[in-house]
Amino acid sequence: MSAYDDRLAAFVGRPLVALRPAADPVNVPMIRHWVEAMGDTNPRYLGASPVAPASMMQAWTMRGFGAPVVAGGFDELVALLAEGGYTSVVATDSDFEFVREVVPGDHVSVEEVVEAISPEKATGLGAGRFVTTLKTYCDAAGSVVATQRWRTLRFQPVASSPVEPVETPRPRPAVNLDNAFWFEAAREHRLVVQRCLACKTLRHPPGPACPECQSFDWDTVEASGRGTLYSFVVAHHPRHPAFDYPLLIAVVELDEGTRLITNLTGVTADALSIGMPLEVEWLDADPELTLPVFRPVATLEH
Amino acid sequence: MNIGDVLPPLEIPLTRSLIVATAIASRDYQDVHHDPALAQERGSPDIFMNILTTNGLVDRFVTSWAGPTAVVKRIRIRLGAPNHPGDTMTLTGSVSAIDDRRVTVDVVGTNQVGVHVSGLVEVEL
Amino acid sequence: MSGFSGATAIVGIGATEFSKESGRSELQLACEAVTAAIADAGLRPSDVDGMVTFTAETSAEIHVARNVGIGDLSFFSRVPHGGGAACGTVAHAAAAIHAGLAEVVVCWRAFNERSGERYGLGQADRPMDTNADRAAYAWMTPFGLSTPAQWVGMFARRYMHEYGATSEDFGRISVIDRARAATNPKAHFFGRPITLEEHQASRWIAEPLHLLDCCQETDGGQALVVVSAERARDLPHVPALVVGAAQGSGHDQHMMTSYYRPSISGIPEMGLVGNQLWAQSGLGPSDMQAAVLYDHFTPFVLPQLEELGFCGRGEAADFIRDGHLELDGSLPLNTHGGQLGEAYLHGMNGIAEAVRLVRGTSVNQPGDVRNVVVTAGTGVPTSGLVLGAA
Repeated sequence: MSAYDDRLAAFVGRPLVALRPAADPVNVPMIRHWVEAMGDTNPRYLGASPVAPASMMQAWTMRGFGAPVVAGGFDELVALLAEGGYTSVVATDSDFEFVREVVPGDHVSVEEVVEAISPEKATGLGAGRFVTTLKTYCDAAGSVVATQRWRTLRFQPVASSPVEPVETPRPRPAVNLDNAFWFEAAREHRLVVQRCLACKTLRHPPGPACPECQSFDWDTVEASGRGTLYSFVVAHHPRHPAFDYPLLIAVVELDEGTRLITNLTGVTADALSIGMPLEVEWLDADPELTLPVFRPVATLEH
Repeated sequence: MNIGDVLPPLEIPLTRSLIVATAIASRDYQDVHHDPALAQERGSPDIFMNILTTNGLVDRFVTSWAGPTAVVKRIRIRLGAPNHPGDTMTLTGSVSAIDDRRVTVDVVGTNQVGVHVSGLVEVEL
Repeated sequence: MSGFSGATAIVGIGATEFSKESGRSELQLACEAVTAAIADAGLRPSDVDGMVTFTAETSAEIHVARNVGIGDLSFFSRVPHGGGAACGTVAHAAAAIHAGLAEVVVCWRAFNERSGERYGLGQADRPMDTNADRAAYAWMTPFGLSTPAQWVGMFARRYMHEYGATSEDFGRISVIDRARAATNPKAHFFGRPITLEEHQASRWIAEPLHLLDCCQETDGGQALVVVSAERARDLPHVPALVVGAAQGSGHDQHMMTSYYRPSISGIPEMGLVGNQLWAQSGLGPSDMQAAVLYDHFTPFVLPQLEELGFCGRGEAADFIRDGHLELDGSLPLNTHGGQLGEAYLHGMNGIAEAVRLVRGTSVNQPGDVRNVVVTAGTGVPTSGLVLGAA
């Protein structure tokens, strides 16, 4: 995690808004304004023993017009998000659970605590982070009358001119002196296998020395590109943005005898069976990375 | 009452007055809910309805069907396309679960652009 | 029996709470667990002269020692390969004490694995390096094979193919662990058992693994104190003798992806550990009254039972279905709830449970336990213990 992530993470569990009482107790005039504006004619709200509409809970503790903004966790978090470029906000979810109805005379207070701040997500609005908080509404005795889980997206607004979406490339292989030859050959669409020069044993994944005869001398042979399915997984979660899911990942045993990890193409999970014949196909993933993937061999052909 | 029962749909014409009146009745004085010029400055085509009102209208939609004895225990909503003046929001719903006295209604509210709100309301009868 | 067998004992265990968000630094979790374990042993921090942890641990022994009042250290070491290190820490401690390099050795592991760096999210975006460890990922992550669940799934599919095992056979391990966790107040899943149907209905993570085949992620710390059997006699708790302690790394060993061996339906490194444990102790599978088997993912529990000799190759599914691993079976499994049910503490909480089983203080004590076998992480170079009563 980056230092910025750490600073964001420090907000989790912190109150954003310390316990704040409503300006007024629950009262009939405000209920009247609400039900008139909403067009709600339910007789319970303005009858002989009125109750407040459940959905009105949040309204009791709103700050009101021109109320001074009190410095605190909320403003600090907004400032920190702005520092990360997340200057815009849109609410995405609200989940109210009501313990009891409130009635005129009840004096409601609210407290808001950060539950989670997501890693950066790509959204239709732009890159952003979801901030989930829990608002707890209490009566004068301190008993909880309702909770509200509240999720907002804090995002970096996308420039209004249409921008080509940036595709996330596949994870880079860590290339070093021991494995570079293989990835270089792949860029030329050649599937090679390392071979010990002394005892001719093939090995993959490659390494600097032969486990059979301890020779450090090696060359490569070009594989036929034919093999069989040795095992496979169908990856669903978590999702990396470079891949489409469900993602078929396989271990293929080449006709030459070595195995390699690869992806399967031109086939769906339900059509896979261990031992089925496969052949190589080249995936030019991006200008820097070419990988061998495998597809089923047409039955007649094999 | 059975699972799958469909509520009578509710069409709500979203006048400018309604959007402003509900914002003020919910003590929400954010300018994007009543000041068109400032709303445009902030990137919206016009003022838009606030979330407290979405909760309020979903509440009204379900309780007007469930009757005055119903007590609302949960309102869970996911927000989508904004509601602007001149839009009409149509609320539809159906019973998705019945557990003793607790009835869950799935609710969707759509406007011309698409889904404004989807979610559920649980009431106790 | 070697002179090593029974020469040392675990005399103290200590842990933090197990949570999803500790709210404290990993160093603090380590210090809390170590302090608690030393106190449980009836010792003082200044008595400790050896410390062993994982290479994966972020708090070096000097930081823990300095904070908790441990002074001079004459022995310290670290064991590599993630959860495979767990029992290895005790093996190092026991060997050091047996060799006279130290007298009181603390082994620990502490992390914020849920609220901090989550292993389950995969290796794909980890920083690039060109050392041999990092270069090994070059054969996986470009293909999207980057999480432990996916790595294990590849073995599991082959095991199913060769032995006819099913997802339900894996699920029974999860059901057993959650049943034990349900009665363990320290467990994350206390009071929340599952059914096999729920296991089957849980979403796919990496087919053939469902969500409920995968262990949870945890914040917490666990520590153990090891001393000589002689010294253990003067300490307050019933000592859990280290009857066997071994590490194992097999032929053509890779980190979670040993897919290139002639067969991948077994775990040869665990067989290597098992053979050493039985040779050291003079005991065998039928001498065990309980087992704490590493269960980060259910499928690997089956070949562990086979490698340790509790059943034959390919017979684990039947062995489990016959009820042997239940609390009233021949080999009660993971009485604390395992890492699927109690907490994922890289196997260290399982060693603590084995100590409780020998002490007779497990919350799910299956009667008298003379000997219990414990294993560490599977798919990696691993380790194991046999703990026994004096």
